[in-house]
Amino acid sequence: MRENAIEVRDLKLSYVSRQSYSIKQTLFQFKKSERNVVEALKGVSFDAVRGEVLGVVGRNGSGKSTLLRTLAGVFSPDSGTIDLKGNSISLLSLGTGFQPEITGRENILLNGMVLGFSEKEILEKQEEIIAFSELGKFIDMPVRTYSSGMNSKLAFSITAILETDIILVDEVLSVGDTKFRKKSYNKMRQLIDDEDRTALIVSHQENTLRDLCDRVLWLHDGEVRMLGEANEVLDRYMEFMK
Amino acid sequence: MFQRFVRDFKKYWPYALRSAKSTLKAEVAGSYLNWLWWILNPISFMLIYTVIFGVIFKASEQYFPIYVFIGLTMWDFFNHVVTHSVKMIKSNKNIVTKVYIPKFILIVSDMIVNAIKMFISFGVVAVMMIVFRVPVGWGIFYILPVLAGLFMTTFAAGNLIMHFGVYIQDLSNIVNIVLRLVFYFTGIFYDIEKRIPVPYKYWVLRINPLAAYITEARYALLYGRITHWGLLIAWVVLSLILDVVTVRVVYKNENGYVKVI
Repeated sequence: MRENAIEVRDLKLSYVSRQSYSIKQTLFQFKKSERNVVEALKGVSFDAVRGEVLGVVGRNGSGKSTLLRTLAGVFSPDSGTIDLKGNSISLLSLGTGFQPEITGRENILLNGMVLGFSEKEILEKQEEIIAFSELGKFIDMPVRTYSSGMNSKLAFSITAILETDIILVDEVLSVGDTKFRKKSYNKMRQLIDDEDRTALIVSHQENTLRDLCDRVLWLHDGEVRMLGEANEVLDRYMEFMK
Repeated sequence: MFQRFVRDFKKYWPYALRSAKSTLKAEVAGSYLNWLWWILNPISFMLIYTVIFGVIFKASEQYFPIYVFIGLTMWDFFNHVVTHSVKMIKSNKNIVTKVYIPKFILIVSDMIVNAIKMFISFGVVAVMMIVFRVPVGWGIFYILPVLAGLFMTTFAAGNLIMHFGVYIQDLSNIVNIVLRLVFYFTGIFYDIEKRIPVPYKYWVLRINPLAAYITEARYALLYGRITHWGLLIAWVVLSLILDVVTVRVVYKNENGYVKVI
């Protein structure tokens, strides 16, 4: 039995849509606008073993993306704990945060640094990232000039080449054109096949999940409906979704 | 919390620096006169104020153009950081929704950008001091505690405005009005000590930290001394306390910001 890479206990997170107010609303609207509380995660617990590939399925709005973002540290949970055992983690999702006005090359640096890599580490891998992204001379142009496909290619390349211990994948297996998709799929395989790398993959593509994952976590309305061997969970899930 | 601040600061400082560099680079790349604007902009305003207040209103302050330039240079720093901080979270939406980053780092990065511009502007001040033959001694180094105070006050103000800017949509309107008010009560183009009558001038210096810093910076650079040590120290200490309080507020709420935008 290998040690756990992620331990999540009773994770709760709700969006209080504390919307932003204008001064006028606050002053002249005596009627208190109702506070919408959306419970996105209602006590989720699970473990992921080191090296495992865990798929996450569920309907739209069942809390999959929220779970991934909470693991990545973007949200802090209302209650419950997340223990990453000191592993580095990165969230791979469509269109990572780029600064539009600066060049792709500089965005690689910024992105890597925000993920916690040192400048030296990034510079060592920069050429590899650029080569993988297939952006060519566009890499020295401002990111605002990129097409959305190019954007996602660069985003994917950065996270894929700057390897973290845990990668969270949110629906990015369909990046770019057919050729790049194939390439990124293979790269993804190679990444998650690594014995030591743990991956969480959110996807609606059943085949992908069956192909890649060891186990699957089924989220339903912010709760764990089922967690188990991939094919078993997916069969039940597919039946449910009919 | 203090330990967390120091740790985060160390960890993300390279990012803040790199991000500031990129911002400056992008600014330069996007305009014809590029970095010259960082000098041209304050010089133009200095000329405008010198003509209006020096010639038309017959201001009698010694070295009046330098006097105005020091005020403008420091004011611009504060003004830009505070103005940007209103929309700081929104304009960095790309980053804050994808990874965790301590939000005060965004303020730090913007402060680096504007501090670099301020130092370039101070370079112009140095040239002007040579041209006007201002006698210079070791006293000019009194500018250092003044700038330290300016940084600490700006950091606290930036954090606070950034926090409320997330929740209040029209905060930028209010901030602009308040900034304009503070601008006129900071004595950019007049001497608070001379022009504002006796009991009030002390109040302006006590309530408005910018007025205190700019006044002291002028004394430091032009006459090599500090006039109100007590006031300066009081503002530095108070700003430090406000830094702690505002960083705490931001830490406590920062992961909620993402849910609002």
